[in-house]
Amino acid sequence: MLVGLVASAALALTACGGNASGGASGESAGPGAKAAQGGTLQVLANAAFSHLDPARGFDGGVNNFYRLIYRTLTTQGAAPGADGTKIVPDLATDTGKPSDGGKTWTFTLKDGLFFETGAPITSADVKWGVSRAWDPEIGIGSPYAKQLIDAPASYQGPYKSGELPTILTPDAKTIVFHLKKPYADFGSVVAQNTFTPVPKGQGAGNALDSKPIASGPYKVSEYKPGAALKLVRNDKWDKKTDDVRQANPDAFQWTFGLDPATIDERMIAGQGTDADAIAGTIQAATVARVQTAQLKQRTMSGLGGCTTYMGLNSTKKPLDNVKVRQAINLAVNKQTVRDAVGGSTLADIATSIQPPTIAGRVDYDPYPSPDHKGDVDGARKLLTEAGFADGFTMTLDTRAQPKMQAMAVAIQQALEPLKITVKINTIDTATYYEVIGTTSQQHDAAITGWCPDWPSGATFLPPLFDGRNITPKGNSNLAQLNDPGVNAKIDEIAKLTDVQAANKAYGELDKQIMALAPVVPLLYEKVLMIVGSNIGGAYLHDGFSGGIDLVSVGLKDAGK
Amino acid sequence: MTATPALVEVEEAAPSSAPPTSGKRVLTRITRDKGALACLVFLAIVVLMAVAAPLITKISGWGPYQFDSAAINSDLGGVPHGALGGISGSHWFGVEPQNGRDLFARIVYGARVSITISLSATLLTGILGVVLGMLAGFYRGWVDQVISRLMDFLMAFPALIFMIAILSSLPSGNRPVLLVVVISAFGWPYLARVIRGQTMTLANREFVEAARASGAKDSQVVFREILPNLRGSIVVMTTLAIPGYIGTEAGLSFLGVGVSPPTASWGQMISSSVSWYSVDPMFFAIPGLFLFLTVLSLTVLGDKIRTLIDQGEAA
Repeated sequence: MLVGLVASAALALTACGGNASGGASGESAGPGAKAAQGGTLQVLANAAFSHLDPARGFDGGVNNFYRLIYRTLTTQGAAPGADGTKIVPDLATDTGKPSDGGKTWTFTLKDGLFFETGAPITSADVKWGVSRAWDPEIGIGSPYAKQLIDAPASYQGPYKSGELPTILTPDAKTIVFHLKKPYADFGSVVAQNTFTPVPKGQGAGNALDSKPIASGPYKVSEYKPGAALKLVRNDKWDKKTDDVRQANPDAFQWTFGLDPATIDERMIAGQGTDADAIAGTIQAATVARVQTAQLKQRTMSGLGGCTTYMGLNSTKKPLDNVKVRQAINLAVNKQTVRDAVGGSTLADIATSIQPPTIAGRVDYDPYPSPDHKGDVDGARKLLTEAGFADGFTMTLDTRAQPKMQAMAVAIQQALEPLKITVKINTIDTATYYEVIGTTSQQHDAAITGWCPDWPSGATFLPPLFDGRNITPKGNSNLAQLNDPGVNAKIDEIAKLTDVQAANKAYGELDKQIMALAPVVPLLYEKVLMIVGSNIGGAYLHDGFSGGIDLVSVGLKDAGK
Repeated sequence: MTATPALVEVEEAAPSSAPPTSGKRVLTRITRDKGALACLVFLAIVVLMAVAAPLITKISGWGPYQFDSAAINSDLGGVPHGALGGISGSHWFGVEPQNGRDLFARIVYGARVSITISLSATLLTGILGVVLGMLAGFYRGWVDQVISRLMDFLMAFPALIFMIAILSSLPSGNRPVLLVVVISAFGWPYLARVIRGQTMTLANREFVEAARASGAKDSQVVFREILPNLRGSIVVMTTLAIPGYIGTEAGLSFLGVGVSPPTASWGQMISSSVSWYSVDPMFFAIPGLFLFLTVLSLTVLGDKIRTLIDQGEAA
């Protein structure tokens, strides 16, 4: 998924286990301490959730939040590190039984599952929820169900086209999916938000965006869009059916629309109910203030799990020349780019396309330079070979956001010695992704990011670099790279039935793509957050862009 | 500012024998006044900085866009090394957090933006205000009706909100030109209203009637008789308008709709310094001080000139 969506939601919630060991070691102090049951957990946030409808929302922030109110067939684990991204059963009894060579997948529902209304959750409700993904207005979230499950070409969701004939529900507990082609990792796909059950016949239009129908441990009791959201316990949820969610607090209270600087001040002060609060990543200017021993105990940090990169549009001259793209890769000073977002505490320097949280990722640096400060001489040599010793002018698209503009200026500076004049084209935040995703409107380069939908190269490399996925609108292959070698390799890996072997192959594909230099990997951004002094059970979840796992966090002393 | 009222009284107490409204007289009187002289000297420095910016940064050694990673602490979010925001021998005013750009160079180049935009806007509003104000005041009738209603409309309009809206919806393009046009579009009625009123009074004076009686054409009356007598008002109004436009430009840049980065601008520097106020107060203090002193100097000077001209006219 696009990192921009995440970035806005990451403000809402993000975090981790400050000291590598402290996170979940159960110390008596610090955010990793054991959480008690009960109390109201406060969340201070800048941006509100994009959608409450699970078929619409799709970013690290809402994905984390959805686990509080919705359940899916499988879900990610609830633990720090790699255990958190492991797929475990949720509504289903297992992670699915493939047949027909991985083309047909069968799931069985657990007993004792109910909606907040008291109605039992049946396979027909799961099917109804999934088929909503085909509705052109509703299915704007996770695209995987639509991409993988076989469906009539004209199918437009259950409200317009009726029931989807290709998902079978032989009985109330069993659901069978038929895929377009074999897919080894379908067990991970059914953890996507689109696999949330919705009571059959309900949820048309915007109904779920204002009043979700909960299947998880909490339900929405009060929602003022853009201002506040309150969750209270869903008493129809049975802990015995759920191995993932601890659901510690009795209630969650979100406050949206707060200024990031205000949030930082409140979290540092930690007065009143702010002691029970969590918030998003702190601002760069706050980093220097959280260095005291007292505050350090309340900070958590870790990787966000996304890659921030600059796409180089290979259809434009002279970026169609691989040597020019390689020269830019060599010349960019990643140190200054990192300082622009807040220095080493808020980002690591990226060398490969896939971030470190992805399984099978290879750590390598195809365009090395001392301290990542850029190899201008090497770049000049490549440019001379390509016939651009005198430089050229290119336009870099960036969002109207201080951090993104600062990164653009850093790149502009780094390319100046090569006589490459970078014109910065600032685009309004609201339309940015629409503009750069429209092939006729995008310029030579653009700064953006990508987060894996689950920690596999399958959700990272094919969406960004499969040349056959280039579309005139909503295009995510910013480089417009259409390389036969890369395309063939993507097909080859898709045929692998062993998920581990496939992940390893994606690590190698990463190298093959970077040799063509369609993008400049810039940063793996980190999260650094302060939590209230009464917060316990908090750890960074790798699967949710480094947010505090909401299903495990709670208050140390619920009576306070 | 606080010194001005006292000075005014002193001037009024001492009746002047000098010729009315002469530029030379105004200048001599200003240079004799310590406060006004200090303002003049400061403004001269700012203008000199703006004009000789490339030369000055060559001497100081750092360009306005040049990064200095060594001057900031990457581990602490990019806070400048050293006390007072990294003030040192090589960075005279310290550096900007997160990228290490030299604040001195950015102040110098920021002066360019402020001065160019405010002077251009003043020139444009001056021309628009004088021409339209005189047309309305001289011809009266429907011309006056149209221009006056337009002025009323523009002055009643929530200008700042409209400026923000229009600047954020326009494509990036040439930002400084856009700023000048938008600021001028809302700025001219203030001058035009005064000019209109004065023109109306002047048009009924005996010397104008005498000129008409001796067969002067409209254009001759306007340019030979009325315009020279408006000179004082125009000088005062425009001098007092410049600090206003500097403030507007800084304000719009502060709100993120002014000149686009990486161009240095004082307003933008203040805007990006807001989040750093507690960690690096100098980043806020330096551009803030320059903006404050520039606006103050121009206001004091404008006030002073008004007093002198008023006296000249009274004499």
